Amino acid sequence: MSEIAAKAPTRPRRRLIVSRLVPYLLLQALIVIATILGLRLLQPSDPDDFALSGFSLREDGATRAVTLPHFTSSRYSLADPPLYTGAFTYRRSDAASGWSVFLPRFSNAAEVAVNGVVVLDSRRDFNANRPDRNTPEIALIPASLLRDGSNEITVRLFVWGPLKGFLDTVYVGPDAALRPSYETRTLLFVTLPVVFSAWQSILAVILAIMWLMRRREPVYGVLAAAMVLGVVQAFVPPPVPPAATSRLAAVLLASAPTESALIVMFAVLFFGWRWPRYGALLFAPGLIVFVVGLIAGPPLPRILFLVLGIPTVGICLFLMAGVTAAALVRRQDAASFTIGCAVTIVLTCWVHDMLSVFEIVTNERTFVSRLSYSAMLVAIGAGLTWRFARALNQVDGFASQLVTRVREAEERLKASFAREEERARAAALANERTRLMRDLHDGLGGQLVSIVALSERGHEGATITDAARAALKDLRLVIDSMDDIGGDLMLALGSWRERAAMQLRPHDIALDWRVATPQGLPLHPELRPWHVIQIVRILDEVVTNAVKHARAHNIAVAIETLDGGEGPYGVISIADDGKGFALAGEGTSQTARGLRNMRSRAARCGAAFELNSGSSGTRVRLQLPQVFPDSDAAAG
Amino acid sequence: MGEQGETGEAITILLVEDDAPTCWRLQDALVKAGYEVRSAGTLGEARQALNGGAPRVLLTDLRLPDGHGIELIREMRQLCPDTEIMVISALGDEESVISAITVGATGYLLKDAFPTDIATTVRDLVAGHSPISASIARFIVRRTQGTAQNSAEPPPGPVLNTAKLTPREIDILWGIAKGFSYAEIASHLGLSRQTVPGHIKNIYRKLEVHTRGEAVFEAVQQGLIKL
Repeated sequence: MSEIAAKAPTRPRRRLIVSRLVPYLLLQALIVIATILGLRLLQPSDPDDFALSGFSLREDGATRAVTLPHFTSSRYSLADPPLYTGAFTYRRSDAASGWSVFLPRFSNAAEVAVNGVVVLDSRRDFNANRPDRNTPEIALIPASLLRDGSNEITVRLFVWGPLKGFLDTVYVGPDAALRPSYETRTLLFVTLPVVFSAWQSILAVILAIMWLMRRREPVYGVLAAAMVLGVVQAFVPPPVPPAATSRLAAVLLASAPTESALIVMFAVLFFGWRWPRYGALLFAPGLIVFVVGLIAGPPLPRILFLVLGIPTVGICLFLMAGVTAAALVRRQDAASFTIGCAVTIVLTCWVHDMLSVFEIVTNERTFVSRLSYSAMLVAIGAGLTWRFARALNQVDGFASQLVTRVREAEERLKASFAREEERARAAALANERTRLMRDLHDGLGGQLVSIVALSERGHEGATITDAARAALKDLRLVIDSMDDIGGDLMLALGSWRERAAMQLRPHDIALDWRVATPQGLPLHPELRPWHVIQIVRILDEVVTNAVKHARAHNIAVAIETLDGGEGPYGVISIADDGKGFALAGEGTSQTARGLRNMRSRAARCGAAFELNSGSSGTRVRLQLPQVFPDSDAAAG
Repeated sequence: MGEQGETGEAITILLVEDDAPTCWRLQDALVKAGYEVRSAGTLGEARQALNGGAPRVLLTDLRLPDGHGIELIREMRQLCPDTEIMVISALGDEESVISAITVGATGYLLKDAFPTDIATTVRDLVAGHSPISASIARFIVRRTQGTAQNSAEPPPGPVLNTAKLTPREIDILWGIAKGFSYAEIASHLGLSRQTVPGHIKNIYRKLEVHTRGEAVFEAVQQGLIKL
């Protein structure tokens, strides 16, 4: 079971790999063919009518006839440079314009003399002597030097490795005939590399900034380092031996293997792999060339470069091809595809150059690796830009997705909040309705019933009037208590004072109102309408008792805030100068019920109710709680 | 005793109330106090009565069979600004009283007030003392708080612009709302007791919105509307 389960996913996976890899490899084969064809087509054509190929060569003391192009036998011949001597015919009659000598390819440096006078020394142009470039040279031959008939031309070839010296066919003829060919070669092998190097330096700056801003991603730092090395190698002119600073040349040799190792490291990181620890070995050849270049003098570093550096470049190219192919199989994105194709081109060119170096393919020793490397740089730049743009798109997408999500969540939250609010409002409304019902039932209902009963029994108008007034008063109390007073009980007491004064005026009872401080009572944010109604009803009951039973002349209300060390609390005291409760003969049971009512109302509000009644009057003290209870626990 | 104005003539009152028993009750109390009372049961009757000359005091119920008392108050304010206007209310609730104040009324009279209180209230009104109840004062000061705290949502109830009230006037309203007498308020605020009624009259005048154009002008002045 488990075996099948383990094998099952591998087979489609393998099929997937094959289905992706085969077309890719076929395409790479096509690219190889196209590159080879391209190299053949791009081969600049030289003015063959003016070719000089028959020369006599004096090398190592021996003189022999050679045919150009020719490879020297030595890799290092600064002491006794090989001397090529040839002859050309000049006819003054058909020399409409000046004549030139044109060297399409030589390594490392060449000095050309016509009739014994030097007309061209390539050592003066530092970049012309680099073996990896195919710099052409052209020089006008002063007309005074030319003799009608046969003229002698000598080419002295300076060779300082790492390759054998090489001299391509030399052309001597009218400048007008040679110049176009020279210009073509200059464009291909001088101008174009400069353009690419400029591009590389821009890339280096962009990547360095990228890396500085995103230190977490060493991939950009690695590539920036590679680009900087490439730019240095391209723009720092190597000194021409036997100049003293030949060490610099040796150090510059280390740049190519190091740069290629860095490129591999970049590719590995760029495509999302980890850089293996043994990957450091890839930097070893570059380091060795560098160290040897610092210590030893020429020609050892150049030989070492040939032995270590160039193979390293090759290995790196093969690694790159592997990495990009693997990345393509895994991710199948535009970046890996572009870079992979570019690597194939460079690899093809490298093989082409190697075949040329080992003289397996006899061409004119035109090295194209460096030029084709530019193709890879363009591909890398394109790949980076592509990935950058994609990342931006992803960020945009992510941001818009986030906005949508947040909006959705907000909507849901709003909906649930609205639901909750609705529910709370419904509950509050139901509570309020219950309270209102109870309050109306307690006061207004009973009073209206008593009005009905009184009028049915044919009572005197005054009694009915009292009952109706009481009912109206209660209705006002209920309405008043509904108002939001913001926890300030004084606002409710203010209205009550008016109602009580109005009630007492016909009875000629004075209402003495005394508030200890302007604030009056402490604020109670938890104060609810039902608290207010209970307290006001207690006060109403006290005043009604004073009017009805005690026959008082004066009622004193005192409002004060006390603080027993545990926070402030309010006290409302009402005192009358009546004859007191106990002496009230009739209606004792009614008074008792009233008293019970007052106690229960006070208890529901968490207030302490005290009543002292004597012959000199009644004194009620209502001590309010510090915090009003939020549920009507004692109700019912 | 007969109530007379400065000129010595009897003070005329136009009483507009559609409920006959209530109307009788109020009329009795006022006539007994020496006022000259004309009564009307509808808006139409009231307008007719006005043709015979403007009264010194207008007492009107708000809900009338052929219209709303607010219209009558507004017309009255424009017709003769010197007439004192009061609303007759069963409960003295803010809804009706405040909306009457905004069109020019300066107080209210409870329908079940005792006859002596009715007479006293009217006398004070004519003497230039606008009565104000604790609950009305409370409503106004709560509204001044409401506009200061969150102006995003208008509070329920009638529209009331309290922006013109001075801090002193708001303090006076607080005192009234908390049940303090004029004397107590005056001593708390360091005022003369006699100036308090004047302040209250001013409060009424400031709460009045005269015309639509004036309301817009006020709103612009107070920065509520940006032009």
